[in-house]
Amino acid sequence: MNGRAREWLREIPCRVGEIAIDRGDAGRWILTHRDDRARAELHPHDGAEAAVELARYDDAGNFRPLKTAPNLRHGWRLVLADEQEVERALDFFYPARLATWRSWRAGELRTTPLRETLERQSGMYRVTAKITETQANELVANFCRSDGGCLRTILWRRDATGTLPSTLLPAEKFDPQHDQTGRGEAALPLLCQEACNLLVAASREVVKSTPAL
Amino acid sequence: MISETHSALLIVGHGSTVNPDSSPPNLVHAAEIRRRGVFAQVECCFWKEEPSLRDALLLFDSPALREVYIVPNFISEGYFTKTVIPRELELTGRVTERITGQVWKYCEPVGNHPLMTELLLQRAREVAPGVPENETALLIVGHGTDLNDNSAVAAKREVEKIRASGRYAEVLNVYMEEAPLVAAWAQLTRAPHVVVVPFFISDGLHSYQDIPVLLGIEAEPTAAASQREVFRQNPYQLHGRSLYYSHAIGTEPRFAEIIVEQVEAFACDTARPRKILHEVP
Repeated sequence: MNGRAREWLREIPCRVGEIAIDRGDAGRWILTHRDDRARAELHPHDGAEAAVELARYDDAGNFRPLKTAPNLRHGWRLVLADEQEVERALDFFYPARLATWRSWRAGELRTTPLRETLERQSGMYRVTAKITETQANELVANFCRSDGGCLRTILWRRDATGTLPSTLLPAEKFDPQHDQTGRGEAALPLLCQEACNLLVAASREVVKSTPAL
Repeated sequence: MISETHSALLIVGHGSTVNPDSSPPNLVHAAEIRRRGVFAQVECCFWKEEPSLRDALLLFDSPALREVYIVPNFISEGYFTKTVIPRELELTGRVTERITGQVWKYCEPVGNHPLMTELLLQRAREVAPGVPENETALLIVGHGTDLNDNSAVAAKREVEKIRASGRYAEVLNVYMEEAPLVAAWAQLTRAPHVVVVPFFISDGLHSYQDIPVLLGIEAEPTAAASQREVFRQNPYQLHGRSLYYSHAIGTEPRFAEIIVEQVEAFACDTARPRKILHEVP
């Protein structure tokens, strides 16, 4: 990772998902929840590894299986020594999102349609290929919505013909320029190149709950 | 040869959408291996958590990285190592060359490592200190599944090796989902002391929450291990026996060493044909 261009850090304050990144003293970097930037009383942490625990539970102490869900806990301040540490911390907060963004910026990001993801499943998830168009349209709208679901910007399509993942989601859900937190600020997008396993698992629940014809 | 400038390591774990203790052993082992500076880059990916296996395809984008070693942090060579991981990582065999020229090398899962026997015995001794082994039944619990016949091979191999040593009064394989079932432990054993070691990667959903219910030491699944103050209160007095239940084997810090050794074994073994070839999806 050394020496890799960190264009995304050039804009200060830099925002990534629910995180604000600011310059600290002596070349250090400060990460906080975007809601907490102005707060003085924050619990201090240091080192990238601390991000693992900060990202694990929400404010109510519930496990966060989806790190891009809009439920990052509040009340902390993470001090990091250098840019490399910032990248490592962000890789814990939002795993693989920087790598996805770099690939997208380079014009190399390959996206996978939902149908292709579901059709290659096996074992308990093989059944997900049976999800209907209507069910998929509704599920994606509910599961991936930025307010309460997931802060990623969806780049994949529902099928190989380019059908929108869900007609029930606003157009900005697919726009990398849009701040998915709804704050209307410039922010590095958390890009989604392919349906995650949680959406695949949710598809299974939908199909399994469909009464047999 | 592993190069600290050109080689990367990808540790593949299962992860969980419901239990916070499933992925941490992977992250801890990765941090330890990173600290040792053996590889230019060390990453984890998960089936059920992030980064996903699909995300992992994007993680090694530095042109300096010529090879990526993939080590499944899985106990058994089964459904995940033979079907899911090769498919999701787009592997064409043991060695896969990407369009960039980067080469991905698929190593054996950790559960195949020869040190497993010693670690299982160590866990058994730690959980029941001072308990005479010749009055103890040792149960190695595996997952067991009908998705792949090889799933229980590693657990059976370990039990045979421990049994052959003649140290314990009884040594048995038991499983969550196939016979002999862990829930039948009292009928399967006779010794006054019973030591149960989960042959699992983490103190996660199965080993910490499901198996204790099957054993009868909990009436219903408890909170996750990391959310309770006391791990276990051994021994449990059940069916007139003393039952001891240990941490999962994969939380042992020496797993970091095992992961690196699986990479080294791959490097030494590439010239030889393999007994079990990974399926090409």
